[in-house]
Amino acid sequence: MQEIIDQFFDVGFMAEHFDEILEGFWVTIQLAFVSGVLALIWGLILALLRQLPGRPLVPVRFLTIAYIDVFRAIPLLLILVLIATGIPALTFLPESVRIPQWLGKPDPFWFGTLGLTVTYGAYMAEVYRAGIEAVPAGQMEAARSLGMNHGQAMRNVIVPQAVRKVFAPMLNEFIALMKDTTLVSVIALNEVLQVASDIQSETFISAGLTLGALMFLVVILPLARLVDKLIARTQGRYTRGSHIEVA
Amino acid sequence: MAEPMVKLEGIHKRFGELEVLRGVDVEVGRGEVVCVLGPSGSGKSTLLRCVNLLEPPERGEIFVEGHDICKGPGSAAGEAGWELDFVRQRVGIVFQQFNLFPHKTALENVTMAQEKVLGRSAEEARAKGTMLLERVGLGDKLGQYPERLSGGQQQRVAIARALAMDPRVMLFDEVTSALDPELVKEVLDTMRELAEEGMTMMVVTHEIGFAREVADQVVFMDGGVIVELGPPAQVLDAPREERTRRFLGLVLDR
Repeated sequence: MQEIIDQFFDVGFMAEHFDEILEGFWVTIQLAFVSGVLALIWGLILALLRQLPGRPLVPVRFLTIAYIDVFRAIPLLLILVLIATGIPALTFLPESVRIPQWLGKPDPFWFGTLGLTVTYGAYMAEVYRAGIEAVPAGQMEAARSLGMNHGQAMRNVIVPQAVRKVFAPMLNEFIALMKDTTLVSVIALNEVLQVASDIQSETFISAGLTLGALMFLVVILPLARLVDKLIARTQGRYTRGSHIEVA
Repeated sequence: MAEPMVKLEGIHKRFGELEVLRGVDVEVGRGEVVCVLGPSGSGKSTLLRCVNLLEPPERGEIFVEGHDICKGPGSAAGEAGWELDFVRQRVGIVFQQFNLFPHKTALENVTMAQEKVLGRSAEEARAKGTMLLERVGLGDKLGQYPERLSGGQQQRVAIARALAMDPRVMLFDEVTSALDPELVKEVLDTMRELAEEGMTMMVVTHEIGFAREVADQVVFMDGGVIVELGPPAQVLDAPREERTRRFLGLVLDR
């Protein structure tokens, strides 16, 4: 029993390495935030491309669907390694792109951001799509009948309602993304997992990793509760309200 | 008669195997009110939705103010062959399910398209929206969201929203069918006033009383064709066709 406590839950050890691990976790938070915001934007663009109307735009819709399927099917870890090994080897790219050091962040940070954005953009596009398709068809008809074109109807009528409907599932995607930032440790970003593993391999004590896990809990548990609350609230609103949902 | 406001010629429409409209011709004169009656599935709503190209017909021609809005035979040309802007700026529609924008207040519902489509300034759109909502008796509900309004109130907002675009023709697609009985009158009264002011209207309805009182022409449809067409006194009170008589018998018996 004592051995287990010493290995995983040594509070003194955690206190000793707290600052280093927190610093790693701060990188995790930054990575999650930057790629989360970019994936939200990229996902919306994909979802909108997928909804473009008319026969001439079939190729656009096809390519969008293909992108979404492909990036949902390839493991994120593989994509991260592919990006981090491949891009620096492309000699025709300028150095600032091959080894990006933007905003004082090291290149693995930006490769991680790219990998998370292209992958989670595909996931989030599917969430947006569910929201867009949940808006009653009569909304689009009403908007178009008032003379709005497809883009205006999307921007002013459909997307604002879709976003409200998918707020909770989108937050779930963000939680998943935040946890998946630990994968970026394999391309040598000093985020929380990397820092804690380094400590473990020097000391053979895993309590630093436990501390990293605790930091995730502190941030994610309240978010998970928030998701639950939001779901309860929207459900209440749509079943209680006098608003009629039209198929 | 002068050039009709709306003229439909040989309209055909099918949904897959089902032929919903099988050659329909209707003319609606300027300032006329045409009520379209018929059993469910007769194609009357589809006909109405053809007029503003929500359901583009497969064959046939649609003229609005003499302008062919559905160029070429059939819809093979797709949106390119349709005069969407022309028709949607002249033809307003009100739906059975209201279709108000739930994330916008009553006033915002009425101002949005004025600003985005007609390019009116916010003040101009607001003034017009307020005026129209007062006219339909909702001057005290400007800031309310649709879910806070009764069905009848929502439908009157929808009428104001369509009127804000200064349409030449208004289409009403069973606008009282989703309403509680006690709310039907307020919506019909609004429509009656509109007719008295000289608005050209096509009204798909089950309200025989409204048709008798307000309509200039009544169209009775069944099975995707027009069975009988004429002034209400003729079609409603002395129908020539057996099918019309049977339908009216069923509706009036209630």
